[in-house]
Amino acid sequence: MAQSQEEEVILKVKRFNPERGFWWAEYKLKVDKFTQFTEALRRIKSEQDPTLSYRASCHMAVCGSCGMKINGEPRLACKTLVLDVAKKYNNNVIIIEPMDYFKPIKDLIVDWDEFYERMFKVKPRLYQAKEVLEGKAEHRLKPEDQRELWKFAQCIWCGLCVSACPAVVIDQQFLGPAAHAKGYRFLADPRDTITEERMKILIDSSWRCTYCYQCFNVCPRDIEPVTAIKKTRSFTKLYKDKSEVAEIGERHIEAIHESISKTGKLQEAEVYVKAYGVLQSLIDLVYMSGAGKLKYMLVQSKPVQNIKEIKKILGGE
Amino acid sequence: MEKIEYDAVVIGGGLAGLMSAHEIASAGFKVAVISKVFPTRSHSAAAEGGIAAYIPGNSDPNDNPDYMTYDTVKGGDYLVDQDAAELLSNKSGEIVMLLERWGALFNRQPDGRVAVRYFGGQTYPRTRFVGDKTGMALLHTLFERTSGLNVDFYNEWFSLDLVTDDKKVVGIVAMQMKTLTPFFFKTKAVVLATGGMGMLYRHTTNSYINTGDGFGIALRAGAALKDPEFVQFHPTALYPSDVLISEAARGEGGILKNVKGERFMTKYAPKKLDLAPRDIVSRAIITEIREGRGFPGGYVGLDLTHLGEEYIKERLALAVEAAKSFAGVDAFTEPIPVRPAQHYYMGGIDVDIDGRNPDIVGLFSAGEAACVSVHGANRLGSNSLLDTLVFGQVTGRTVVQFLKSNPGNPTSNYEKEAEKVVDDAYKFVKSESGVHFGQILEKLRDTMWDYVGIYRDEGGLLNAMCEINKLRGMISNMYVIDKSKVYNTEFFNALELRNMLDLAVVIAKSALERKESRGAHFRTDYPDRDDNNWLKHTIAYLRGNTVEVTFKPVKITRWKPEPRVY
Ligand SMILES: Cc1cc2nc3c(=O)[nH]c(=O)nc-3n(C[C@H](O)[C@H](O)[C@H](O)COP(=O)(O)OP(=O)(O)OC[C@H]3O[C@@H](n4cnc5c(N)ncnc54)[C@H](O)[C@@H]3O)c2cc1C
Ligand code: SF4
Ligand code: SF4
Ligand code: FES
Repeated sequence: MAQSQEEEVILKVKRFNPERGFWWAEYKLKVDKFTQFTEALRRIKSEQDPTLSYRASCHMAVCGSCGMKINGEPRLACKTLVLDVAKKYNNNVIIIEPMDYFKPIKDLIVDWDEFYERMFKVKPRLYQAKEVLEGKAEHRLKPEDQRELWKFAQCIWCGLCVSACPAVVIDQQFLGPAAHAKGYRFLADPRDTITEERMKILIDSSWRCTYCYQCFNVCPRDIEPVTAIKKTRSFTKLYKDKSEVAEIGERHIEAIHESISKTGKLQEAEVYVKAYGVLQSLIDLVYMSGAGKLKYMLVQSKPVQNIKEIKKILGGE
Repeated sequence: MEKIEYDAVVIGGGLAGLMSAHEIASAGFKVAVISKVFPTRSHSAAAEGGIAAYIPGNSDPNDNPDYMTYDTVKGGDYLVDQDAAELLSNKSGEIVMLLERWGALFNRQPDGRVAVRYFGGQTYPRTRFVGDKTGMALLHTLFERTSGLNVDFYNEWFSLDLVTDDKKVVGIVAMQMKTLTPFFFKTKAVVLATGGMGMLYRHTTNSYINTGDGFGIALRAGAALKDPEFVQFHPTALYPSDVLISEAARGEGGILKNVKGERFMTKYAPKKLDLAPRDIVSRAIITEIREGRGFPGGYVGLDLTHLGEEYIKERLALAVEAAKSFAGVDAFTEPIPVRPAQHYYMGGIDVDIDGRNPDIVGLFSAGEAACVSVHGANRLGSNSLLDTLVFGQVTGRTVVQFLKSNPGNPTSNYEKEAEKVVDDAYKFVKSESGVHFGQILEKLRDTMWDYVGIYRDEGGLLNAMCEINKLRGMISNMYVIDKSKVYNTEFFNALELRNMLDLAVVIAKSALERKESRGAHFRTDYPDRDDNNWLKHTIAYLRGNTVEVTFKPVKITRWKPEPRVY
């Protein structure tokens, strides 16, 4: 068994309070290879500096309290070992900051109110048939349905995905990855009775995600919020009352399908024009050239060799 | 001070608190839930293994609720109130099915019905589970359900103290943690569902927030604790984070080894070996460590390597994952570092089978904070989640009855008392120098672990009393360095410490009084169970600096005490 040899590390913590603003504090402490960041912080608080504030509860990655940025990555402090990070970055100085996106309240404690608001917007609870609720009928759930739903039900409301999501910052109407995971868990439950209302809440928003996979990368519970969003989008065809965003989204998907089946590649420019229409594309083009992104749109590429294979995979023609 | 009025106020957003609030709100009463963390961050989220339940038509055909009661009574070493255990068993199926209807994703059998697994101490398998995160699944379901009702949530609010008038509840003072604003919640009924107290001990599987606040609040208000000496220790907590490694690891063939590589359980339980009951294994590990055969740092190894990677992966995925994430240990190739840790509190606020405290009118309690008592001297695995839901519901319904038969508002001059509660709390912030909470806290946790832990004796307990009294003296000298008015966690840590100290002295004194060994309470100077003198509940009050201990009979309905052998 590995010995618990101690090593000295320096934690540089970005601190904040409204009276003083931001400042950095440095704490030197000895840790061994087993030490979690929550335990390191607890020791700093009780042995060195009781004024340091942070949230932590379960120390086993199920309560979602301890999200923070460790060397720039959004992580659960309890699920991260101090020496692992030191080794990964080959540096015994480690930087700890509050999560991005959220408003700081005090040191590593951020304001979650808006996050909770989005979570509650998706009506996060099962609306059962009345007879079932009253115990007059039993609704059996297939084991495979249980497994599918449980995957998305395991969200611990830690907010890491939201702090990593680029879309949620710029788009007020996007519910964000966590709320979508929660929303899908109930949208997909065969026992739920308010599917139409859920589609109304979720579908438009689901087309506002940029598919960057950041939420997928940071989620400590492997929820894959982006997968929930993808699956939610597939409900669009069942939904009558589509918003413009959803319609554009559907066209976008069709265009991608067409582009790939024709050339085997994603011809971004072509897809874009098809989805958003020529006029909007031209307007966007002006903005994009200003942002230096034009080069991506003008890349011309030849069709790939084995286009037949690709068409087979896509199930077309 | 701002004032706000409710029919009932529930302190605690864990399973027990939410269930009570659900019942009170469903009956049309105005209820507030105050929790120092957002409800889903409560300790209930950490429960893994499952919830025990006899479900008619969905259990072993030979099983019935009577076996369940018997298992509970025997597991609790006969200190269980048998009428309460019967209620627990009889309502178990109903409550699990209720949670299922509310959307809890219980694991399923192929035919779509709720699945079942076996747990220690059960005559027939009857534990229901949601993957390896049963507590989290139930807590989220119940929170989602309750948040859809007309319940006001005060999340990240810290409850300070009850205000009473002539042994009657008039309200409770709580403080918003973000702003440090105190509020007086005027109400006739308060439910304390504040959970356990693991942080009193150097080593615990509990959440950091389990600081026994409800026990401190109850004691200071003049309510008694029942059986406070009964503290459960789990033998295999991961070193050094004390994350729980489930009993399943030993059930599947894991072997405990000391630093010399010896299978030491051959000495302590030659027949049952590593599968001996929790208390026996815990004592064995502590002895090995104390006698210098533990690993540096103080732990032993739980060896799974001989089981083979395939088998381990299939059966013990969670243990492997925990060892990897929290200790950086590869359980396929090296032993998992483990040691015993505090796990559960059988003692608690004295309540009857309806959740009512007999000392103060309008005071109720449920969950781990309460002692009904269904766990007696030793709780069976998967009975605690059941306890939180069944007695959470029962208590909520009792509150509804109480409110119906006591209409009108509490009348009392609460203002001065409420101000005093806040002044007492602020004393820590006001002094300019002294000791800070960390210095006292670490001493307390060591004292409890060393002298009021797995092994106890008169000398050690006297020692502990003396030390705790000293620490209680020092607390008046405690000060808070952080003067910030926003989310001052140091201030709240200091208040938690006050609660911990009030509880610690009561535990130590009660343990000193009980001169026998029963369940989790082991006295090396009185190693046997003594039914003639000690088949009774301890009832302890805190009056200033003295602990008053009296006793109360155990309710026995059908099961006469017999030796606890397995
Ligand atoms: C690792 C682990 C695994 C477990 N596994 C199982 C299992 O498989 N099966 C089983 O049956 N049992 C299990 N248990 C036991 C079980 O989880 C607990 O006993 C149970 O969850 C307690 O629930 P509760 O509602 O009483 O309290 P908690 O869930 O602890 O809730 C307490 C609430 O009180 C609030 N609170 C506390 N103090 C204050 C204050 N001053 N002001 C405001 N609010 C306050 C908190 O914010 C929290 O919301 C396990 C325990 C541990 C430690
Ligand atoms: S994939 Fe979508 S939800 Fe996930 S981080 Fe990117 S934009 Fe946000
Ligand atoms: S989806 Fe994952 S990262 Fe996002 S809040 Fe839930 S658990 Fe956290
Ligand atoms: S402390 Fe609970 S998730 Fe980290």
